[in-house]
Amino acid sequence: MSPDLQNALTDFIPQVVPEIVLGVSACVLFLGATFRVSRHVWGVFALVALTLASFALIATIRSLPLFTEPPTTFDKSKWPLYAAPVLFTPLALFFKVVGLVTGFLLVLLSWDEGGEDHAGEYHGCLLLLVAGIGLVGAANDLLTLFLALELISLPTYLLLYLPRADERAQEAAMKYFLLSVFSSGLLLFGFSYLYGLTGTTNIPALLDMFASGQERLAPNPEASTQQPWVGVTLLALVMIVAGLGFRITSVPFHFYAPDVYQGTTTPAAALLAFVPKIVGFAALLRILGYVPGLSAFERPLGTAMGEQVPMLLWIMAAVTMTLGNILALLQDNIRRLIAYSSVAHAGYMLIGLAVVRYLANAPGESVGGVEALLFYLVAYGAMTLGFFAVLHYLDSPDRPLESVDDLAGLGKSHPSCGLLLTLFLLSLIGMPLTAGFVGKFLIFFDAMGLSSQNAEQARLYRILALIAALNAAVGGWYYLRMIGVMYLREAIDPLPRPRPAPVVATIAVCATLTLGLGLFPQSLLQLIRDALPRPNAQLVARAADEGQAVARE
Amino acid sequence: MSDAVYSILWLIPVLPLLAATLIAFLGPRLLKQHSHWPCILAIATSCVLSVMVYWHVQGAEGDAPASVASYYPWIQAGSGPYAVNIGINLRADALSSMMLVMITFIGTFIAIYSIGYMHGDPGYPRFFAAVSLFVFAMTLLVLGDNFLVLFVGWEGVGLCSYLLIGFWFSKPSAAAAARKAFLVTRIGDVGLMLGMLLLWMMYGTFNFWDVNDAEGNLLYSGIFNQVERQLQLGTLNQALILAAALLLFCGAAGKSAQFPLHVWLPDAMEGPTPVSALIHAATMVTAGVYLLARCTPLFLAAPDAQLIVACIGGFTALMAALTALTQNDLKRVLAYSTLSQLGYMFLALGCAIKFASDTNLVTFAVTAAMFHLFTHAFFKALLFLCAGSVMHAMGHVIDMRRFSGLRKVMPITHATFLCGALALAGFPLLSGFWSKDEILDACYQASQEGPYASVYFTLLVIAIFTAGLTAFYTFRAYFKTFWGEVKVPEEAFHHGHGHDDHGQGHSASHGGHHEPKTSHESPAVMTIPLLVLAVFAVGVGFVLGPLTHGFAHFLHKTPGWPHMTEEHHMNIPLMLMGTAVVFFGLGLSWLMYVKQPELPVRLAASAQGVYQLSLNKFFFDELYQGTIVTPAEQVAKLSAAVDSGGVDAVVDAVGLAPSKLGELFRPIQNGLVQFYALAMVLGLTVFLLSLIYKL
Repeated sequence: MSPDLQNALTDFIPQVVPEIVLGVSACVLFLGATFRVSRHVWGVFALVALTLASFALIATIRSLPLFTEPPTTFDKSKWPLYAAPVLFTPLALFFKVVGLVTGFLLVLLSWDEGGEDHAGEYHGCLLLLVAGIGLVGAANDLLTLFLALELISLPTYLLLYLPRADERAQEAAMKYFLLSVFSSGLLLFGFSYLYGLTGTTNIPALLDMFASGQERLAPNPEASTQQPWVGVTLLALVMIVAGLGFRITSVPFHFYAPDVYQGTTTPAAALLAFVPKIVGFAALLRILGYVPGLSAFERPLGTAMGEQVPMLLWIMAAVTMTLGNILALLQDNIRRLIAYSSVAHAGYMLIGLAVVRYLANAPGESVGGVEALLFYLVAYGAMTLGFFAVLHYLDSPDRPLESVDDLAGLGKSHPSCGLLLTLFLLSLIGMPLTAGFVGKFLIFFDAMGLSSQNAEQARLYRILALIAALNAAVGGWYYLRMIGVMYLREAIDPLPRPRPAPVVATIAVCATLTLGLGLFPQSLLQLIRDALPRPNAQLVARAADEGQAVARE
Repeated sequence: MSDAVYSILWLIPVLPLLAATLIAFLGPRLLKQHSHWPCILAIATSCVLSVMVYWHVQGAEGDAPASVASYYPWIQAGSGPYAVNIGINLRADALSSMMLVMITFIGTFIAIYSIGYMHGDPGYPRFFAAVSLFVFAMTLLVLGDNFLVLFVGWEGVGLCSYLLIGFWFSKPSAAAAARKAFLVTRIGDVGLMLGMLLLWMMYGTFNFWDVNDAEGNLLYSGIFNQVERQLQLGTLNQALILAAALLLFCGAAGKSAQFPLHVWLPDAMEGPTPVSALIHAATMVTAGVYLLARCTPLFLAAPDAQLIVACIGGFTALMAALTALTQNDLKRVLAYSTLSQLGYMFLALGCAIKFASDTNLVTFAVTAAMFHLFTHAFFKALLFLCAGSVMHAMGHVIDMRRFSGLRKVMPITHATFLCGALALAGFPLLSGFWSKDEILDACYQASQEGPYASVYFTLLVIAIFTAGLTAFYTFRAYFKTFWGEVKVPEEAFHHGHGHDDHGQGHSASHGGHHEPKTSHESPAVMTIPLLVLAVFAVGVGFVLGPLTHGFAHFLHKTPGWPHMTEEHHMNIPLMLMGTAVVFFGLGLSWLMYVKQPELPVRLAASAQGVYQLSLNKFFFDELYQGTIVTPAEQVAKLSAAVDSGGVDAVVDAVGLAPSKLGELFRPIQNGLVQFYALAMVLGLTVFLLSLIYKL
């Protein structure tokens, strides 16, 4: 075995120490839970494990270099690192941090969840999820990526099943399992085509090969779409987008969401609303090569095929947000309603993905779409987790909180809970001074502000911004309806006063984030901007030339 | 030093904000009657910091524009033509540091005075919380380096004004006055907002000035720089700039109570008197003057707007002075005098015009306006606080027909009121004299040349006449209150300084420091601020005025004001003329209210029409009620009918559409997992086909 190869196989291990810590802790939990039944012991253990993983992450940042440069340099010693299964990039760091914070919030949120006897397994699954998020963010190889995604799917099945064993929960878990396996199959199918075309599973190498292959095979972009390998690549990309579309609940892969959210418990629904979205978008960004500068590729894979993949994302965004919003209008069950709302929000986020190609063309500008998408992701996480946390806090076995009508009179009977729910709902609507507003603002602005190099594209995306604005207005209705029910209607049977619980910490953090990011968005935006490499200057200049050439024709 | 100054800049508004939050949360339960401490400490610290900033700016070399700035990028979004780049930018230049010192200095003493005045009021914490919040908003307003921060401060002071006018909200007249103030200034605010948006359309930014980073690269471009560039190149769109300037003036007129939006200020006297002194005399109402002075580069490019500003200012000065002649409420006399003096300031601002290439007058006139603003803040705050002291002693009676001869009862209040009155009247060598003279001079210079010379000459005549009226009505109030036989109203004996007339009083006596059945001077906590302010009202013009040019030299460091090429010299004949008019007004009031007290009654009877016109404030309230409020209410009723009848049906139909559309899609969600998988595959197929056969 050549030393280079050996290095490639072992050098990455220090980069995944936080994930290793989490994995080992999860094993301890699975084992320990058979010996001792206590939700508090295992809950505290999970928090300790997450804290340890955080320290491990800090140590990793201190000791390891972040990969910010593309491997085009002739420094051969770095090549094995780029061939490694994981790559510690600034963006990976961002996802790791988001994952850990989400982990803390979820452990606190589901502290009292389900039977005491399953608490250990439950928290073990949560830790595996967090490890999975970190690995997806760092994945540098199709296989790692797939494994990391499965590391999230498998515990999710358990999490849906563990806390409640009644018929509806089982049905929900079963539905999710079947469709999730199906979508994983699609994803793997897409991956296998990519491997067949290029002979590698290393993502930078793969992206490079497509870019240079296009240069070699078809210097003329018009003719390139006629090449036989282009068709196969498109097939692979559609498969991948479909497989990941399931995780981000994009139409038409969203069908499971309402049934599963309704059938399962509130903490599990909160988890399903956020975690798969993080990893789905992380994986899409990576595979479509939408994070510029990280590899030597000349053009992102998603755009090597011309306008088609952005167009596909355009359509998905428009359909997803519209369908999500209008179906949410008809719902009475809160979790089902939020399921559709999460579909709608996935649509808004897809806009951020769809505009990337065009925004990266503007010299000196930031990456645009990607940063808006990441900001929206964090904002969405804060407000949705917060909303579910308040619901869970108010929920009790004798008086379940199921339908919108159950919220009646909450503004009077539980003033602070009512106020917090209102805050999260206003943020979901996108009211100014909340995180949700800034997220929508950034996304809409990116869609509106496409450079006028390509007038037709700019018009198309302005239409998308218009659709999004109309959707935001429609969305306002069902969120406001909940606020109206809380404050304008009297409760026939008021909810009991909840006991103090660790979930309060989750609510506090989410509320602080929702308000703080609304008031001082620049703090997070700057972090995201620093995490994203700037577009390669040469690439930008060339794209601009091409744009002008097209305009002249 | 410079690093320290950056953080100081932040602290100036933030400290009062912290105090406001602290009092709002802890006041009612914990601080109670000690609620004034956070407020006074915060404002006083801000005052010290403001003075430090002032010295920093003052210490800058020569006449070059100097400023201290601090930038925080608040939000950056989009790219290309839709890029948005907004910062919370603060900058203290000469103009704003002078405002800062004035606001925090007067604010500190008014807060101290309020300890005595508000003592025992059930809303004690609420009062100090609102005052702290006001100082926060006002300092933010003058520190803002873009229109957005200025606007936040602008709306903030409006909100605090509303809260404080309606402080005794259970009194219907106070609630109505608060609503009126809020609505009328809102009309102006709409103008300001439109002006801001127009400037955004024209220049794509809210910033006043270009901002460069450490390497000298342009971070933000500023409106004023762009206007100056366009003016040089001759590419300025005159019509749009005129529109923007007038819209900004509309905002200024609302906030500074200029005709025709002046009607709210006299009613605002329903609030506690310290509020009238701080907000409705010294600081908030001058925000409009500050805005126009700040936008000097813009108004320089719109000479027609300047003419309108001058005319409105002159008219307001005259009209308000005439109204003040016959008012019987001491605070209302002072309120109309505030209107009149603000009119003077706008008149001066309107005189800032450019002759050919000579720009000396611009800087001179704006400096005159700001100088008058500065001196006026001291003597008017003083006068209001004296009126408050009188009110406090008279059991909240403020009708001058009900008391007289108070100079023996309240010696300190009497002496300080006299100082303020002399300063306001423009008695030679007192502060009002210097600043008013500069305004007259600016007016005179503007009437020397240009196409509108005759208009400015008329305004000069009006201004001189108004100076006489000012002396007359000020001393009418003084003589009626402090001279003549001692007369004290009943209420003064019932409750020493109770607030029973506000319907939420406390009958229990607090502190036995006054004998029942005798009226008394106010406590030291109230008289000491009076004495301090009196010193400033008398001396500030002498020290900083045209004799030393201290104020002018400092203010000329403001960026964007044209450099003055020659030193200004006093216009002695004009000064003498002004003095003569003042003495005439003073003498006349002495004749009418001390020597022959029956004379005013005879005069009023003989000129009944004019008297009624003035007494009823030229019927502006009735006019607005008839022409605007009543028709507006009718239109509102009509709209309500149309809305509930017609529009609602359409809206309901539109609102129904999405949910009907939803019904259409509902059957797809049938709960069958095999169907879901099939739908996914179908979706995939559609995507594939559409991509392969091109969309």
